[in-house]
Amino acid sequence: MSNPSCPKRNPDVSWRSIEGQAVLIHNRLGEIQVLNELGTYIWENLDTEPLSLARNIAERYEVSQDEAERDLLEFVETLRASGALADDEG
Amino acid sequence: MDRPVGVAHFSGPLQPHGDGAFTVAVGGIAVRFEGLSEELKAAALDRYRPFLSEDPPIHTAIVFEGPMDYLDMAEDKFLRLEEREFPEGRMLVSHVFAALRPPADGKGLLRVSSEQPQRNAIGAIENYLRWVVADLALDCGGFVLHAAGLAKDGKAYLLFGHSGAGKSTATEISLRETPGVLPLSDDLVLVLRQGERFVAATTPFWGSLPQQVKERGLYPLAGAYRLRQSPSVQVREIPLALAAGMILSCCPFVADPARRADTLAPLIEEFCRCVSVKELYFCKDPSFWEAIAPEEVPA
Repeated sequence: MSNPSCPKRNPDVSWRSIEGQAVLIHNRLGEIQVLNELGTYIWENLDTEPLSLARNIAERYEVSQDEAERDLLEFVETLRASGALADDEG
Repeated sequence: MDRPVGVAHFSGPLQPHGDGAFTVAVGGIAVRFEGLSEELKAAALDRYRPFLSEDPPIHTAIVFEGPMDYLDMAEDKFLRLEEREFPEGRMLVSHVFAALRPPADGKGLLRVSSEQPQRNAIGAIENYLRWVVADLALDCGGFVLHAAGLAKDGKAYLLFGHSGAGKSTATEISLRETPGVLPLSDDLVLVLRQGERFVAATTPFWGSLPQQVKERGLYPLAGAYRLRQSPSVQVREIPLALAAGMILSCCPFVADPARRADTLAPLIEEFCRCVSVKELYFCKDPSFWEAIAPEEVPA
């Protein structure tokens, strides 16, 4: 993971945490996404610099830094594909 | 090609179809329609008979003359309903009608051609009614859910899911083969908060089943079940967040993002804390009643 920037939440997505799981409401699409515990942790900490976030994931879930980085990148891509993240430009 | 429709479509002199009027109440939410021709009024009275009301309306809409066509028919022949936001109000457009609902207490404007077959004009009224009831329900601390609603022994059961989930099938089987079941709807049910509990109201909205005479009623909710078609019957627990997400995704017509996030979502969370929400794997027979209401099924 080479000096990546923090992904930004799409302002068209509202969300609320229910018993430790984030429920994402895609306002324009009218779609709902429910995140698991790890997904919720990432979503709630998207403002954290990615390398630090991966380190926190590794500690919290007792996995290697490499595995944490892979999980983080993969999940961010899933969020991006679903429209939950703002475009990179700007 | 779709007819471009903006707010200007509702300004200028508009011609009502006639001076007929009626008020329909869904779970106490009274909506009045004015500007109907005698024929259209007669058809509406027939369709909404159990739900006709003398209550003062919360909202009034006027039916005006309009052009024959608005949106083109979709290739799959499913109904196209498009909602648009303007500073002057929210608009709903379909193949045969366009409607504008101004903000606050303004009267709604519904344009449909008097040359349309009567079923299309009634369909325009029906869709307008669904649209406003879903919005007005939120003001009353309730919401509209894409669900089959069935009452048994004084309690309501909601079987929810998108088109094709099995709402009409479950309704049809239950009405045919399970004694004592009353229909609330096979498509859209109104859920209202009543003190500390939630109740479900009978609605005049039907999905694919033919319109039948129903009786207005409010029933305390015994449970809500996300339908999954399966070779065998099974009820599965689901986490609260998933339950809330599933319910939220089946609440139609709340397009305003702020309303959806700040009003509807907290209400649904509360609903899921009060009412048992589970997944129901069911097959096309009435045996699912043994899984969702075992105490109500005679041995």
